[in-house]
Amino acid sequence: MFYKLVGLRGPLALFLKYGFLGSADAALIWLISAAINKSSFIIAGVVTAALIFLNYSFITKGAIPLKFLSVGLIFFSIFVITPTGYTILMSTYNFKTGNEIGKEAALREIINNGIVSDTEGTAYDLFLGKTSNGKYAGILENQVTRELLYADESAVRPAAESEISRDISGYITSANGITTLTDEEFANEDAAITELRFPLGDGSYAAPQGSDVAARLIQSVVYDPVTDQLENTELGITYIDNGNGNFAVKGDPTTRLDPGWRAYSGFDNFKSLFLDERLRDPFIKVFIWTIAFAFLSVGTTFAVGMALALALETPIKFRRFYRGFLILPYAIPSFMSILIWRGLFNKEYGAINTLLGLDIAWFDSPWLARFAVILVNLWLGFPYMYLIGSGALQSIPAELEEAASIDGASEKQVFYTIKLPLLLQILGPLLIASFAFNFNNFNIIYLLTGGGPTNAIDGEVAGATDILISYAYKTAFGSNIQDLGLSSAISMVMFVIVGTMSMYTLKKSKIMETL
Amino acid sequence: MSKKIGSNNIWKHALAITLVLFTAFPIYVVIITSFDPTGGISSNSLLPVRFSLDNYILLFTDPRVPYWAWMKNSLIIATATAATSVAIGAAAAFAFSRLRFKGRKVGLKALLLIQVFPSFLSLTAIYVMMEQVFLITPTFGLGSIWGLYLIYIGGSLGVNVWLLKGFLDSIPLELDESARLDGASVPQVFWLIFLPLAAPVLAVIAVLSFIGTFNEFVLASLFLQDVERRTVAVGLQQFVGGQFTQTWGPFAAGSIIASIPLVAIFLSMQRFIIGGLTAGATKG
Repeated sequence: MFYKLVGLRGPLALFLKYGFLGSADAALIWLISAAINKSSFIIAGVVTAALIFLNYSFITKGAIPLKFLSVGLIFFSIFVITPTGYTILMSTYNFKTGNEIGKEAALREIINNGIVSDTEGTAYDLFLGKTSNGKYAGILENQVTRELLYADESAVRPAAESEISRDISGYITSANGITTLTDEEFANEDAAITELRFPLGDGSYAAPQGSDVAARLIQSVVYDPVTDQLENTELGITYIDNGNGNFAVKGDPTTRLDPGWRAYSGFDNFKSLFLDERLRDPFIKVFIWTIAFAFLSVGTTFAVGMALALALETPIKFRRFYRGFLILPYAIPSFMSILIWRGLFNKEYGAINTLLGLDIAWFDSPWLARFAVILVNLWLGFPYMYLIGSGALQSIPAELEEAASIDGASEKQVFYTIKLPLLLQILGPLLIASFAFNFNNFNIIYLLTGGGPTNAIDGEVAGATDILISYAYKTAFGSNIQDLGLSSAISMVMFVIVGTMSMYTLKKSKIMETL
Repeated sequence: MSKKIGSNNIWKHALAITLVLFTAFPIYVVIITSFDPTGGISSNSLLPVRFSLDNYILLFTDPRVPYWAWMKNSLIIATATAATSVAIGAAAAFAFSRLRFKGRKVGLKALLLIQVFPSFLSLTAIYVMMEQVFLITPTFGLGSIWGLYLIYIGGSLGVNVWLLKGFLDSIPLELDESARLDGASVPQVFWLIFLPLAAPVLAVIAVLSFIGTFNEFVLASLFLQDVERRTVAVGLQQFVGGQFTQTWGPFAAGSIIASIPLVAIFLSMQRFIIGGLTAGATKG
């Protein structure tokens, strides 16, 4: 009866539902039309799909679960699944500095770079203008031979003196069929004019160098789309696609033309990660430290947090104060506390050196830097372990303890043989989650040490405190050669490790059984 | 239980006091640094030797440091993200916990797996995407806090569903069933039974999401280049992130002010938060 009264099929509920749906639709439709206006058809398509999905899920009679999930799924697909898929795809590509554009763009650039000025330095006086149909055209007068040519972008022909008129100093002032450009046009179309090439019919071009001079350029690199080869006509060298995102000299794949393009490379990124020792050695070093860091972080925070939970389990004096105060590191925004700790460890003015009367450059020594990272993570993490630890302690039935002490077990024995195993069982999933979190704990490394100290002399990217995620970040965005393909491969390796761990926990923790 | 400091309690106090000192150390240094006009982080002495409000005044008055704009941005984006992600997460967790449908188990597992993917690498993809969006509508594109907001919402679903599901599973199914027998529809069960029961947990999720967003640094620093549009995390980092120019005074003052709302929320909700964190674990 009660439910009939509040009735969700009543006018108010319907009004809210269709109000929500209607305004969402309005916003999405506006977005689609805006996207089409700017001819971003991919975005228009994605938003249209979202619009259809949203309306379908709400208007259709059945499919109740979908009504609860649709909004979340839309966001999740666009902002998580799509970029994740992109990363997975990139791990199979040769995609790094020098190989980041598409093949067509790379080809265009190579061909443009292959335009050289001819060795004789032929130059023309230029009278530039437009034909009656708005195309660029010009009269070229060879500066040495005084030969006259009429040229537009498709053809060239000899011109006669009668077609033009000159002023007293000999400059061409007008030509039949060509309207001269105004100063304003010159200013506005500067970019187009710079790109202008008048073909001279013999594989060379006349290219404007400013408004009244043109130089003869020779296209030395020619692309043959049939054989997919490039030929340098000046040097007589043939370049072929080396299958890895570059044109390279036939028979000498290491002599490459720049730029390259991002090319599908299969498992090459993974292979070089595991086989190329310049990549493998730092990778293994970072990998070991990542595992050690995650273990030590969980171990130290759990030990301290649990000890504190035990200490504060029964009421003691100041318990309320201890509880309230010791939770602070968890409440203070962590990016601030990490940066503050960085200041405290500073060699010249850091409070730690002042306090201890030392003069240590903490972040210059690999082991001290690692120690600092663990210490700061302990500061950040022990309150969380205390919180979950004291929660778990409360859930252990008191009878267990009583029974054991009646049987004559000491307090120590009770703890080690009864409480600790139970605690570990209860907290197991959370500890593994915490391990996974620290495995990917980018902020503390990035903000505290930046991954350093780095051995800068041999140009190594990985530093002593770099964990996989900060190493992957540096590989993708941080160094001179930005290698997105390799970085994506590192991400995939991390994903496999953490994903396996999560699935294992899930199985162990029996959460799935209660589904 | 006696509340005296007995011999049995000595180790407890020793441990607690050690941890109090450990916890207090950076907080203490930050406080004295914030009142030190010279901008260093306790150069020679650990005792406060100078006192001035210069650093705080600078945050209010220096036009190059739009601290209040940063705070406003952070609070807006964190509040909006917390509210939206809780709404979306609650609905999704309800579906996963209470409704039976095809693909539910697979969906849950997939959600968890995709969530543990080291997603910051998708920065590149997201960046390119938001660049395109910016061309269409600058309000939601690159450089705007609303664009960042959309990204945070997308990433929040997995975490929240898993956090909430543990709690939801502990609400006895009989409650729903008897309501259904009384003639309640599924949406009615959601609005009238589930939401009131889950309110405390939802509040916890909202607080955790708020704190998480407030803390987020990498995406925000990449997206919000414009000084006025930064969040407080990105803005404050600029003071001390430089290799050679580090001004700790304003940073310390800014950090203290920014921490106050968070610490206040946290302490007032402490009881709920502990419950929320352990809900999944302690049900055994």
